[in-house]
Amino acid sequence: MNISYNWLKDLIDLKGNAEEVARQLTRVGLAVEGIHPHGDDLVLDIDLTSNRPDCLSHLGIARELSVYTGSPVKVLTEDVPDVPMPAVLAGDIVRIDAPDICHRFTARIVRNVKIGPSPKWLVDRLEAIGERSINNVADITNYVMHELGQPMHSFDLDKLEGGRIVVRRAAAGETITTLDEVERNLDDSMLMICDAVKPAAIGGIMGGLNSSITDDTVNVLLEVAFFKRESIRSTSRKLNLTTEASYRFERGVDIDNLVRASDRAVRLICELAGGVADDLIDVYPSVHRAGRVVSNDISAAVKRLTGLTVSTDECDRILESLGITAETGEEGEKSYLSPTWRHDIAIEEDLVEEVARHTGYENIGVELPPAFGAGEYQHNEPREKRLRQTLVDQGFDEAISYSFIDTRFDGMFDAVPGLLIHGGGDRFVTLNDSVIEGAVRMRHSILPGLLDAVRLNLNFQRRDVRLFELGKAFAAVGDGEPPNEQELFALVVTGGEVHQDRAMTTRELDFYDAKGAVEAAMAAVGVTDLSFRAADVQHLRRGQAASIAVSGEIVGSLGRLSDNIAAGYKFKQPVYIAEINLQMVLGSAAKTPVYRPLPKFPGITRDVSFIAGRDAAYTSMRDAILSQGSDLIKAVDFVDVYEGKGLSEGERSITIRIEYRSDDRTLVDSEIDGLHLQVLSEIERKTRARPRF
Amino acid sequence: MSEEREKVEEVRTAFLNEFDRFRDLDLSTATLASADEVSRELAELKVRHTGKKSAIAGTMKLIGRVAPEERSAFGQLVQSVEKDIVSMIEAAEAKLSEFISDARIERERLDVTLPGRRPRTGHLHLITILRQRIEDIFVSMGYHIEDDREIETDYYNFDALNIPDGHPARESQDTFYTTDGFALRSQTSTVQIRAMERRGVPIRIIAPGKVFRRDTPDMTHVPMFHQIEGLCVDKDITMAHLKGTVTEWLQRLFGSDTVTRFRPSYFPFTEPSAEFDFSCFKCRGTGQFEGERCRPCKGSGWIELGGSGMVHPNVLRAVGVDPGVYSGFAFGFGLERMCAMMYSLDDIRLMFDNDVRFLEQFR
Ligand SMILES: [Zn+2]
Repeated sequence: MNISYNWLKDLIDLKGNAEEVARQLTRVGLAVEGIHPHGDDLVLDIDLTSNRPDCLSHLGIARELSVYTGSPVKVLTEDVPDVPMPAVLAGDIVRIDAPDICHRFTARIVRNVKIGPSPKWLVDRLEAIGERSINNVADITNYVMHELGQPMHSFDLDKLEGGRIVVRRAAAGETITTLDEVERNLDDSMLMICDAVKPAAIGGIMGGLNSSITDDTVNVLLEVAFFKRESIRSTSRKLNLTTEASYRFERGVDIDNLVRASDRAVRLICELAGGVADDLIDVYPSVHRAGRVVSNDISAAVKRLTGLTVSTDECDRILESLGITAETGEEGEKSYLSPTWRHDIAIEEDLVEEVARHTGYENIGVELPPAFGAGEYQHNEPREKRLRQTLVDQGFDEAISYSFIDTRFDGMFDAVPGLLIHGGGDRFVTLNDSVIEGAVRMRHSILPGLLDAVRLNLNFQRRDVRLFELGKAFAAVGDGEPPNEQELFALVVTGGEVHQDRAMTTRELDFYDAKGAVEAAMAAVGVTDLSFRAADVQHLRRGQAASIAVSGEIVGSLGRLSDNIAAGYKFKQPVYIAEINLQMVLGSAAKTPVYRPLPKFPGITRDVSFIAGRDAAYTSMRDAILSQGSDLIKAVDFVDVYEGKGLSEGERSITIRIEYRSDDRTLVDSEIDGLHLQVLSEIERKTRARPRF
Repeated sequence: MSEEREKVEEVRTAFLNEFDRFRDLDLSTATLASADEVSRELAELKVRHTGKKSAIAGTMKLIGRVAPEERSAFGQLVQSVEKDIVSMIEAAEAKLSEFISDARIERERLDVTLPGRRPRTGHLHLITILRQRIEDIFVSMGYHIEDDREIETDYYNFDALNIPDGHPARESQDTFYTTDGFALRSQTSTVQIRAMERRGVPIRIIAPGKVFRRDTPDMTHVPMFHQIEGLCVDKDITMAHLKGTVTEWLQRLFGSDTVTRFRPSYFPFTEPSAEFDFSCFKCRGTGQFEGERCRPCKGSGWIELGGSGMVHPNVLRAVGVDPGVYSGFAFGFGLERMCAMMYSLDDIRLMFDNDVRFLEQFR
């Protein structure tokens, strides 16, 4: 908001120059963002918080400064004539039919005015704060609003049918064309200032075109009123219409300031536009009662919350300067009266803030709270930290994508286990609207975000990409329950293997690189019983898809992105992805390693090769070996897989190394020959793979 | 004896003739291959001219024909010739082998400026890096780290935070709503409530997490970002503790000469409320950096970071804490904005593009 330094000086005797004033204002929470010259004036640009509508005027700013200067605000010391027209007569001109939302309404008729240009001083004042001059009467109402904070509206009395005002709610179907020449449809929640027949203004927001002041206007009716804040806010939202007036009314104006503002404006009209004023009409159905805040020891309260030592006298002086007066009740109870212009003083803490900011936050001490005990990370943080670091060490960059995604991903990705807790189809969490075109779904999966990132990087000629992300996915639960939120872990791998500072990649990454990363990540969080099985997953290519299980429970999937989805992205290179419900994985404690005594005797290793179809899994061969249950079989490891020359189509040769060892003696070959043959025939029996010699 | 002497001289001459090409060996134009060849030839010559089967060794057999009184002189002659031969060959050998070993080392000279061999290492996201650093600081100060739901009820997002129905902050169009009426949390202050419900008081927590606001993405706005919220509730907690705590962690992050500034402000969930600034980490509060207007602080010397204040009594009451017995402070700030200032990012949307060229700049 713009405040003129010269104008301010009319209202209060200031100490120091504009910079000093700016410093004082900023110090008490009225942040001056800049000082700009305007002619012989200086304009202060003040950033106000939403709780201080009382400072949306020169009066309000002057009031804050008076705490510091110790001098009173001049307009507040001037008398305001308080002899209104008798209610009997006033009722013929103004009637309030909606007293629940129009708490007070004053009107004053000024006859025989001459509409014309404003004098230079008035034009200058308005231009200094960025306002445009219109005509003398309109400028005066605008001027008084910026001076005293009270919005007002002037009608051409002769255009009001019946020459009177009825304050009522709009009738359904009524319309009004406002000053901006827009026809507006009204509903019965909206407060209207009407003449005997029709709406003449939207109360507190904008006047109607038909009753507005023109160059031919002779008789003016000046409305200065107080409306319920919520009513103005709601009408303003519904009509999508915000004005300087509505801005102030919806935040709150001073119901006790109406007569002063009206009087100020009427005097100026008479002075600058000629004319003679009738008596004031003041319709005030239920008189406002000042709020009362009990505080028996304000000094102690200030000390308790801020640590500041401020005497009761000084507290009272600060509050008094702000118009917050102390009162002692009959039983010695002390309280403070909340002024009508302050809608934010309701509890003792509010008083403490007033004292603290005027005493100065810079005077509050700087100390640490007493020691409390050891701090602690979130339960899963140490393991997640290891997971992140492990992937980073493996060449992955960490991504963070938006939690809302486009509807085009609907049904494209199988959700990880544990997310759709009611099972029944896709239960999306959907936003009413989004600020990103189409992105109204809360993500079911992190993969769309990662794939978008892959596309972006490919577009920038980065074809070797490894990304991972940790974050929540969401699914609706229904029955008024908040959505299910699960922490997921996902990764994507595509392109070649990159070496640091080397331009050429060494080889193309494949399924086993993605799998290796999953294995490393799971090892990092303490998973020991990890298993993979061929699986059908909607978003993965058939034959290159696996389910991921921890201790037998499926927690996610891994594989090559389906041709369908890849084509949609125009990916020309294979993309491998994995997604895991990390929350499920971290739900079980990390396994602590168990020490096994080191071998005392040498073992015997034998490599065996089997020729098998593609459906014979390595793990089933390994399981067949281990199922022998022999103490002597100490390890089974994968050596190599071969397909191509010498093998028929659809066949491959798998080589496995078996380590035989005894804990109490050195084995000789003859001791294990029998066992080894048993092992071979067991593999053959269980997997129909045939040994290759 | 002259006949025998002559024989010895003949052997010497024969050797010298053969050895001539190895004398004063000129290796200035030699290559490793040619030196190896010469070395091989020299070795052959050595086999022939030294050892028990060599010509000079053979002349020793003539000693029987020499008169006894001259035998000693003859013996010395043979030995001296033999010694000459050996030493000449060895000299040539030494010269050659030095050349060869030099040439070999030279041949294996490496370009030590070529890059080392290692797989590319990845990068944590900038937000993670900063979050972890700040979490480390607060854990060391006795704080627990907390997080909770990202999709909340109005109660946790608003009511419990003293933002009742009809409050402007609630009606402002900032909040995302789901079709079934839940709010994407618009600040991590929700975790204050959840954590106090769970842990009770006294409490010291910080809550990092994602928050959502209906801002259309542009250079300085994103509809999702990360906040860190701090909360300390105990008996006798004052604003001095707020100032001390905020100053302490900023000093640990940006250096012990960092100073802070608190300005009165307004937030529904704190009373009194304050915004806090800290002296610019780059220009150390001078506003000038290397003779130019400092970028992060726009020349003001101050960086505006976040909001804070004493927990509003209504917030304490919402979680069943008696504001007459307990008091507390809370503070919060946005990580993206902080990153943007620390690294002079001009477009905050880069944070969520996941462009590797951006991600790999930080670790
Ligand atoms: Zn700076």
